[in-house]
Amino acid sequence: MILAMDTSGGTVVGWRDATSGRTAGYLSENPRGHAETIGPAIAQVLHEAEVTPQQISVVAVGMGPGPFTGLRIGIAAARAFALGRGVSVTALASHDAIALAWYLAGGEGELLVATDARRRERFWTRYSGLDADGLPVVVAGPALAPATELPAAAHAVVDEPISPDTLTELARRAVAAGRVGPAQPVYLRSPDVTLSPAKGVTG
Amino acid sequence: MTWALRRATAADVPDIMAIEHASFPTDAWSEELMLAEVTGPNCEYFVAVAQDDFANPQAPIAGYAGLLVAGEQADLQTIAVREDLRGRGIGRLLAGHVLARAQQRGAREIFLEVRADNPVAEGLYTDLGFTRIAVRRNYYQPDGVDAHVMQRPLTEGSPTLVQTAGKAEPLVLGIETSCDETGVGIVRGSTLLANAVASSMDEHARFGGVVPEIAARAHVEAIESTIAKALGDAQVSLDDLDAIAVTAGPGLGGALMVGVAAAKALSIATGKPLYAVNHLAGHVAADIIADGALQLPAVALLVSGGHTSLLLVRDLAGDIELLGETIDDAAGEAFDKVARLLGLGYPGGPAIDRMADQGDPSAIRFPRGLSKGDDLRRHRYDFSFSGLKTAVARWVENRQAAGLEIPVADVAAGFREAVADVLTAKAIMACQDHGITRMLLAGGVAANARVRNLLAERCAAAGVDLVVPPLSLCTDNGAMIAALGARLVQAGNAPSGLDFGADSSLPVTTVQMP
Repeated sequence: MILAMDTSGGTVVGWRDATSGRTAGYLSENPRGHAETIGPAIAQVLHEAEVTPQQISVVAVGMGPGPFTGLRIGIAAARAFALGRGVSVTALASHDAIALAWYLAGGEGELLVATDARRRERFWTRYSGLDADGLPVVVAGPALAPATELPAAAHAVVDEPISPDTLTELARRAVAAGRVGPAQPVYLRSPDVTLSPAKGVTG
Repeated sequence: MTWALRRATAADVPDIMAIEHASFPTDAWSEELMLAEVTGPNCEYFVAVAQDDFANPQAPIAGYAGLLVAGEQADLQTIAVREDLRGRGIGRLLAGHVLARAQQRGAREIFLEVRADNPVAEGLYTDLGFTRIAVRRNYYQPDGVDAHVMQRPLTEGSPTLVQTAGKAEPLVLGIETSCDETGVGIVRGSTLLANAVASSMDEHARFGGVVPEIAARAHVEAIESTIAKALGDAQVSLDDLDAIAVTAGPGLGGALMVGVAAAKALSIATGKPLYAVNHLAGHVAADIIADGALQLPAVALLVSGGHTSLLLVRDLAGDIELLGETIDDAAGEAFDKVARLLGLGYPGGPAIDRMADQGDPSAIRFPRGLSKGDDLRRHRYDFSFSGLKTAVARWVENRQAAGLEIPVADVAAGFREAVADVLTAKAIMACQDHGITRMLLAGGVAANARVRNLLAERCAAAGVDLVVPPLSLCTDNGAMIAALGARLVQAGNAPSGLDFGADSSLPVTTVQMP
C-alpha cells in the first residue's frame, strides 16, 4: 500500500491500495500551515482508508519544485514516516503529478506545468507526453521564471493543485518502473542570505 | 486490560462529566466547576485510559481523580470510575497515584470526604491507609447524608507514582531542530542512552551567524540519519520507545518546522505518543540527565546564541517562571558580533575566549547593561548586550581614528568580563531574592570558561549549589528534549495533539503544547 505526500503548494496526502485500486486522500490548497496540517492530514487519510501504518509499504513524496518553507515539511515527514516503517522513500517530481493528471484526462502534446513560486515568479516544467512506463517525459525544466515570462508551449496548466489520487498513481507507476525522482529537495532558489558589510557605528 | 494514567485536559471534561453524573446523580458538579478544577492552577486531575489507547488524546476515559495541594496539606478532591469498569482496580490505581503525587509535591498529609452511605468507597480508602477523623452532619445536600472526613499521613509507606501504567522509567526519543543543530537524543527515565547531533555550524561560519534558511535545509538532510544514529547508539528500536518528544519552540520558525513535521510523521508511523515541548524548559531538563535527578526549586541561567534568560523553576512539568531575559541581543549573539568586529571569526564565543585569556580584563571597563539605578529597579533580572556591543565598537573606532593600535586581547578580555559580570551578578541576585540555593547553568555560553568560573565563585560565596551539565548537554541537543519528554510522561501529562505548529516565540511558561 502506498502513502504519498506533497507540500510543494498546499498540503496533499494520498493513499492507494495498488492491488484493489482503492484510494483515499486529503487536499488543502492553503499555501501555509504545512507543519500544523501534515500530522492530522496523514492520520485522517489512514483513518479514511481504514488501514494501520504497519500496512504501508511504499512512502512517496513530492520533492518540488516549491517554495522552500512548505516544501521541506512533506519531505521531512515522509522521510521520518519511512524510517518509522523501515522502508525507503520514493522521491517524485511534484510537477510530474500535475502533468500525469492532464495526460490521463486525455491531454495530448506539449504541456507546460507552472506553479506559484511567490515573489511574482513561477516554477515551470515542460513535458512532451507519457513514456512506455506511463510516466511524464520532461523536455525542459524544472526552472524558475518571472510569472509574466513563462516559456511558450502548446498547452499550459498554471497553478493547478496536485490531486492525492494522481500523486499516488504517479508513485505506483514510479515504483513499478523502478524509477525515482530527485534525491534532494528541488528548491531552485538559494537561501536568502545577505552578507552585511562591516559597518561603523559612529561614522 | 492494562490501564494508564495521564493528566486530564479540558478536552476530557465532557467524558468526565458523563461519569460524574452517573456516579453522583443527585450532587454532581456542574460542567463549569469541573472545567475550572481540571484546568485551573490549583488542582491536578488525572484520568485513566486503556494503555493501548494512550497515544490517542481522544480515547475514552475510564475514571478520574483530582488533587489539591496547599502547602503541606492535600485534598483528594474527587474520584470516580465508569460504572461498567468498576471492580477492576482503576479507582485504587487513581487514588494511589494521587497520594504519591501529593507527597511528591511536598504535602505531608492528605484529606478527603466520603459519603457515609458509600461503605465500598470508604473501604477502599481504609485499605489505602486513610482513617476516619471526623463526621460532618448533613454535608451532602439535597440528600442530607453525612460526610466522613478521612486523613492519611504522607510521610511513610506511601505508594509510588503509577506513572503511565508502571512506566517509571519511560524510554523517550527527543528531536531538537530549533537552531543550527539537528539533535536526536534517547533517555530511559533520567539515564542518557544516546545524544546524536549533526551541526550545520560550518555552513554558517562565513556569514558570521546562523542563516535560518541554511539551517532549515540542513535539518531536512540530517534528520533521518540523526534519528537512525541515536537509535543505533542507544541500541534500541523504535518499537521499544514509550514516547517521542519534539521541540515546538522557541527558535527559528523554519528550522523548528522540520523537527515538528518529522516527529508527527514518526509518531503516526510508530503509534508512539508525541509530546511537543519547550526548548528552554528542555535546557533545564538537561540537569535531570547530568545529575540523575532534578533538585527543585532552582534558578536557571540560560545563555546561548539565541537566548539569555533567568528562570525560576519549581516544577519542570508545569511551574516555570520567567524572571527576566535579554531585551535586545542574546549573550551568544553579542559574542559573535564583537568577534566579527575584532576579526576573530565564528563562532565568536570560543574565539573571544581564546583571545581574552591573553588580555587584561581590567584594562578597559565596558558598561554593564541594566545594572544601575532605575534600570536595575525596572529590569532587575533582564539583560541588555546591545549597548555593550556598541560601546566596544565605538572604543575600537576611536582608537582607529586616532591611528592607534587596537589591543585586541584587552578588548576581548574587557568585553568578556562585562558579559560574565552582569550574567552572574543577576543570577545570584535572583537566587538571593527568592531564597533559592540551587542554580543551573545551561546553553552554549556555558562553554565559556570565564562565565563558568565567575558563576562558580559567586555561587560558592552566596551558598548556592551550582550545576553545570557537560557541554554536550548544554548546547542544543535532543537528549534534553527527551529528558523533558520523559518527565512529562512521568508526570502523567497527556500527549500533544497532532495539529500543533512550530512557535518561534513560545513562552517558557508553556512547557508542553496541547
